[in-house]
Amino acid sequence: MGDEQIDAAALQSWLRAFARSVAEHKATLTALDAEIGDADHGANMDRGMTAVVAELDATEPGTTPAALLKKAGMTLVRTVGGASGPLYGTLFLRMAPAAGTADSVDAGTFAKALGAGVEGVVARGKAELEDKTMIDALTPAVEALEAGLAAGDSLQEALRAASAAADAGRDATIPLVARKGRASYLGERSIGHQDPGATSAALLVAAAASTLGVVVGG
Amino acid sequence: MTVGIVVVSHSRALAEAAVALAAEMLNGREAAIEVAAGLDDGGFGTDAVAIGDAVARADHGAGVVVLMDLGSAVLSAELALDLMDDDLRERVVLCPAPLVEGLITATVAADSGATAAEVAAEATAALAAKQSHLSTGDTAAPQPPEPAAEAVPAEITATFTVTPPHGLHARPAASVVRAVRGLDAEVRLRNLTLDTRAVPAGSLSQVATLGALRGHVIEIRAAGRQADLAVQALLDLARDGFGEVDTGTAPSRRAAPPRAGPAGPVAGSPGIGIGPARRRAAEAVGVPAPQPGDPASHRDRLDRAVAQVHAALRAVRERTAREIGDAEAGIFDAQLLLLDDPELLDAVRHRIDGGTDAARAWADGLDEVEQRFTGIADEYLRARAADVRDVRDQVLRRLGGSGGAAAGGGVDGVLVAADLTAAQAGALDPERTVGVVLAHGSPTAHSSILLRAKQIPAVIGAAQIVGSAAEGTTIALDGTTGEVVVDPADAVLAEFRSRADDLARRRTVALAHAGEAAVTLDGTTVLVGANLGSAADARDAVGADLAGLVRTEFCFLGRSEPPTVDEQEAAYRAIAEAMTGRRVTLRTLDVGGDKPLAYVPMAPEANPFLGVRGIRLALDRRDLLTEQLEAIVRVAHDHPVDLMFPMITTVDELLAAREVLDEAVRTVGAGRPGGLRVGIMVEVPATALKAAAFAPHVDFLSIGTNDLTQYALAAERGNDALAALADPLDPGVLALVAAAAGVAGDDLLVAVCGELAADELAVPLLVGLGVRELSVAPVAAAGIKEAVRRVDVPAARRLAAQALAAPDAATVHRLLGR
Repeated sequence: MGDEQIDAAALQSWLRAFARSVAEHKATLTALDAEIGDADHGANMDRGMTAVVAELDATEPGTTPAALLKKAGMTLVRTVGGASGPLYGTLFLRMAPAAGTADSVDAGTFAKALGAGVEGVVARGKAELEDKTMIDALTPAVEALEAGLAAGDSLQEALRAASAAADAGRDATIPLVARKGRASYLGERSIGHQDPGATSAALLVAAAASTLGVVVGG
Repeated sequence: MTVGIVVVSHSRALAEAAVALAAEMLNGREAAIEVAAGLDDGGFGTDAVAIGDAVARADHGAGVVVLMDLGSAVLSAELALDLMDDDLRERVVLCPAPLVEGLITATVAADSGATAAEVAAEATAALAAKQSHLSTGDTAAPQPPEPAAEAVPAEITATFTVTPPHGLHARPAASVVRAVRGLDAEVRLRNLTLDTRAVPAGSLSQVATLGALRGHVIEIRAAGRQADLAVQALLDLARDGFGEVDTGTAPSRRAAPPRAGPAGPVAGSPGIGIGPARRRAAEAVGVPAPQPGDPASHRDRLDRAVAQVHAALRAVRERTAREIGDAEAGIFDAQLLLLDDPELLDAVRHRIDGGTDAARAWADGLDEVEQRFTGIADEYLRARAADVRDVRDQVLRRLGGSGGAAAGGGVDGVLVAADLTAAQAGALDPERTVGVVLAHGSPTAHSSILLRAKQIPAVIGAAQIVGSAAEGTTIALDGTTGEVVVDPADAVLAEFRSRADDLARRRTVALAHAGEAAVTLDGTTVLVGANLGSAADARDAVGADLAGLVRTEFCFLGRSEPPTVDEQEAAYRAIAEAMTGRRVTLRTLDVGGDKPLAYVPMAPEANPFLGVRGIRLALDRRDLLTEQLEAIVRVAHDHPVDLMFPMITTVDELLAAREVLDEAVRTVGAGRPGGLRVGIMVEVPATALKAAAFAPHVDFLSIGTNDLTQYALAAERGNDALAALADPLDPGVLALVAAAAGVAGDDLLVAVCGELAADELAVPLLVGLGVRELSVAPVAAAGIKEAVRRVDVPAARRLAAQALAAPDAATVHRLLGR
């Protein structure tokens, strides 16, 4: 059952795992971006997430999940530089109010918050599914997460399904024509390249699957 | 209270430059513009928080118009709006105008007291001026509907003539807007000269659509309570020239340029080349060793180098536009844009600030961009990588980079390029590069000479083909006729192949007889020599009877100190030995202000080709001449050596040079070498005409037809525009050759060592004029010998007489059977 609680510490683990993953895949993300964009996605995300980790390190004990998400969002907005700054920033900033004021949230609230964040990204970027953007990984992930929880899966099971859905969405961007961002300038020539935004978004969901709902010492 | 403006950009430099440009419009009044651009660490990017702060600073209660560049700038601005207080958000307009046009228009509109919505509307309409300018006739850009005439009753009309040199461009147009803003009048302007529609005088973007150039007549129609004031204000403004200073620049409208130079492809280097088009630059330039200095000095060096390349490219572009056409000139725009790219320049400066040498920072920055292009699947975009590479190399060269020349190589196929430097042409490997097609170049340019020397077929002046031939497309070219065919049909390809086979057969025959003397049909022997620039060249001189010209500059170039006597002796000796007993003609140092040597400082000259060069420089720097003559005399004791002085104009110069030679003979000490003969180059027309005066003092005259042609026809060799004019077969040039050859006799040999000697069709003409030695590129020697063997001297004399009587070079070409 998805009745696990997610507190600020768990969110920290998620964000730190995402930061590590971005750092590990920095070159890949930049290489993907070099093919259809301006070759800065890896560097930009790494700069942003490094700054987020620095903020996490300086976080006072007792910070609520909402405050933590807001801080992560604002940090990304200020430091990423490229379009992923306002987009990932919006994701976390929109998750914050959905997380409420409690010290921890349950799986359902987390899924709703993530859904609100992704809606924010959709609104910000005015992208639709199959525009070859991060949405192509995030939207299926949220749907899988919600479906899993509704079917009574554990948070970890649901997140694993979400991660698989995000990966599938990421892979499905390869044959698409980019319709948003700098890659859209390439038009048909963007076909055959995996979208870097969808790639980093899949890393974000994978980081959640590896950190949230994992029963420590279980 | 004026409306505030915020500029959002990825690049701080870009934003600040745009603001500076806009501030120009205000004649010194301060613009209320805030900038939110770049990241704190100096990198590219946008920051929603910084945008929010800038908006707060720009707001003085009248609202704020935000102008953005692209991508994340728009997203970040929207996010900034989300994060803002409701009260402020209501007064902010995110404006979709193009950044630069929008900012300039918005600045003027805000300055004239418009509301935020009006400013944003003006800015958004700013694109219309450019669209209207670039569109043709009825496909004009969308424009606001013209107000119905009856809507404006009781009009006052007047006309004025546009006087500013650049027409009613941005600044005068801004003056117009300011003059009528705030008046209770509806004022419209119409360009009577172009018969445009009427536009509101209060709208900068609309005034700009009038396309009003100097001399155009503009009609003013004003209605309303203060219509008379508005008309008077505009007429006053027009009388005062809109506050613009007349710099006397001609009107921008220009008559169709006269066509000069090669209007299409011309022969550059004989031979047939068939292969895939290879558009990349010939050879990457190496990154020079780091130079000392702080980042500021490196930035300065970079800026200077970029500015120099920019100026050079602009000059080439303008020349191309003038002589060939704008479309062809456009091929240089991509390179100019790269040099102007603030992101690129900032990224390189960023590297410099991080402690990297200017040249390394530039090379790394450009390599990164090039890689980005080469990684793209699209062919067109991939071709841009060549532009990047070219710009990289040009700037690197200005920063002291070299290479390419020494590295050898080239491309596999037909090299297609705008132009080649001599160094690039020299680096090409004939085994790999089967042909060259250039947009520029002239048959007498150094690169063409080198291509002929390497027997790489080339067609030059083929701007259109260079502009259009896609990478990898098959190209067939005939460097003898100047034909180039892109993607030839099978039949055409077969025709080119059969020409190539013929040529190969003739070459085989020529080589088989290369070692034999070249004797005409009637038994006259004509010496055929090789022009050499190094000992390696000598080894290619199969069948040459002698080295008719050794350019000793190879010993002197690219060094910081002059070569010692010993070094020179070794170099000349190596050539003499490689020629295995054949005579070697050593020309003394022939340089001038066009490529000064580091250790021979020269005052700048307005025209180095008419300046201190050749023997003039040598007599000025006797130390250099003395040492060179010593080295030559030493070699002359062991080998048959001809000594030749370049650029001789007067007998006095020759006598002075001979005195230095006598000194050198005394210094070396073994007496005058028995085999040493002395001659002069005949390059100056006056020298050709005074040949008889020189005759008693020399053993030979060697006519340098390249320089003789440029001096006789006042047509610079390197100037592509004059390629057709600078024809050595001009009857005037031939008359000078005839004058020099007229003094030839048993004791006085007259030679030709210019490119004309290598023109097989011209061989009978030269022999007919009295020339008895032809010195050519080493690989051409065998072919020229064959050409000599086909000559009948009496017939050649008749041909020469006809050529001398011909009215122009074209007639001479026809006489030669071209």
